[in-house]
Amino acid sequence: MIPRFAHRRPRSLADAFAAFDAAGGDCAWYAGGTELLAVMKMGFAQFGTLIDLKSVPELGGISADADGALRIGATVTHREIERSPHVLRHLPGLAALEREVANIRVRNTGTLGGNLAFAEPHSDPATFLLACDARVELAGPAGAREMAIDELIVGPLTTSREADELLVAIRVPAPAAGEGRAYAKLAFFERPAASVGVRVRVVDGAIADATVAVGSLTDLPIVLPAAGAALAGLPAEPAALDAGLGAAIAVLGEIDAIPDHNGSADYKRHLAGILLGRAVTQAVEEARAHA
Amino acid sequence: MRETVEISLQVNERAQSLRIEPRETLADVLRDRLGLTGTKVSCDAQVCGACTVLVDGRTVSACTFLAVDADGGAVRTVEGLARDGVLTPLQQAFIDEAAFQCGFCTPGMLMAATALLEENPHPTEDEVKEGLDGNLCRCTGYAPIVAAVLRAAEAGR
Ligand SMILES: Cc1cc2nc3c(=O)[nH]c(=O)nc-3n(C[C@@H](O)[C@@H](O)[C@H](O)COP(=O)(O)OP(=O)(O)OC[C@H]3O[C@@H](n4cnc5c(N)ncnc54)[C@H](O)[C@@H]3O)c2cc1C
Ligand code: FES
Ligand code: FES
Repeated sequence: MIPRFAHRRPRSLADAFAAFDAAGGDCAWYAGGTELLAVMKMGFAQFGTLIDLKSVPELGGISADADGALRIGATVTHREIERSPHVLRHLPGLAALEREVANIRVRNTGTLGGNLAFAEPHSDPATFLLACDARVELAGPAGAREMAIDELIVGPLTTSREADELLVAIRVPAPAAGEGRAYAKLAFFERPAASVGVRVRVVDGAIADATVAVGSLTDLPIVLPAAGAALAGLPAEPAALDAGLGAAIAVLGEIDAIPDHNGSADYKRHLAGILLGRAVTQAVEEARAHA
Repeated sequence: MRETVEISLQVNERAQSLRIEPRETLADVLRDRLGLTGTKVSCDAQVCGACTVLVDGRTVSACTFLAVDADGGAVRTVEGLARDGVLTPLQQAFIDEAAFQCGFCTPGMLMAATALLEENPHPTEDEVKEGLDGNLCRCTGYAPIVAAVLRAAEAGR
């Protein structure tokens, strides 16, 4: 059974902070509850009050700028993202990723903000959004600020968010000319065994610069600048790409991976190498469409 | 502190008002307060789908969904499918295809498939598999369940 708690449902950001204040700190923000209720059920956490964020209008909605920059509210569910015309149009890799998160029931209730705030090392969106240079908007009683994904997620289940701060929205920049972004994962159980997010910019038929992020191997998603650098200069042609990936894959082979129920460290590094190839191929395809 | 809250919701099209504790799950409320024991709890971890019900048309895991979140909403459970003893085409197809053995997964399967068919009345086999991904069955090997959903779709549900 879930330990007893009081339930508050603020209807504005200001009311949410007031509810936090009234609870004297013995409280948790609550969105879909797919993580929070599970850990409370297992007895890992207990709070006097849960403050439900789903009725706070400032935290909802997906919008897109004319140039394709996306802003996704923290309480938007995985299912809403996977079906959003804005996301399908401007960041199809994220819609594809969301279609493969968990199962439909978890996607129907679980939110993007809850996913990032929980900082689970196997998070799909965190890994991809890291590769996309996404920014997170936070708000607290003391004001608003924003930060990159790797400034927010600083350890397993650990973020730099202050207790009274909220994730408000996630902003993904518009793709530059010739830019493509893609994500590939392999999952045997509910969450990925390994995953790779890639951003490439293609100029004159070759990769000019790239970002590579890897998730589920270590205790938080990481960017590997050396892997991105190793992709630069490769021809944006499927056959030539495959032949040229060795150096980037070798960088992934150096990751100090954590063995788990998905497999050994070696096996997980191997998976990451395969997934890198898939993600780069897809990102290059998208980049050519944006050329 | 033991806080209780008043919730009002539709359950299988009947209005219900209940005073509950916020920590009560929708599965607790359906089974223990309303006596609707068709909804099963198995893994209690959002993995198996035995507890699948519809809240405002969306499938949720009732085992890990707070009943307070259904306040003001419309909940549908397996008990709400048949009307006056007449099975839905989907339920009939489960019988015709022998799509259950022990039956423990069946209420969840029926609700997941009901949601799928309402959204996509003519799914392909792959779409059926995708729609039921996350509803586990230890008995049938899934093939008859997929066949039943396709048969129900054909019956023009
Ligand atoms: C069976 C199962 C399978 C899953 N599979 C996957 C998978 O394949 N890939 C994947 O990435 N994830 C997976 N997940 C994780 C899934 O729970 C999250 O993706 C989900 O989106 C979390 O969001 P939530 O709204 O349910 O968070 P909640 O449980 O409501 O909250 C999680 C945490 O975030 C805090 N929080 C929530 N919202 C905010 C906010 N706006 N600001 C600040 N803090 C906040 C809460 O206090 C809590 O600490 C899976 C989960 C389950 C149960
Ligand atoms: S009992 Fe709820 S998903 Fe298994
Ligand atoms: S019929 Fe027994 S679990 Fe599906």
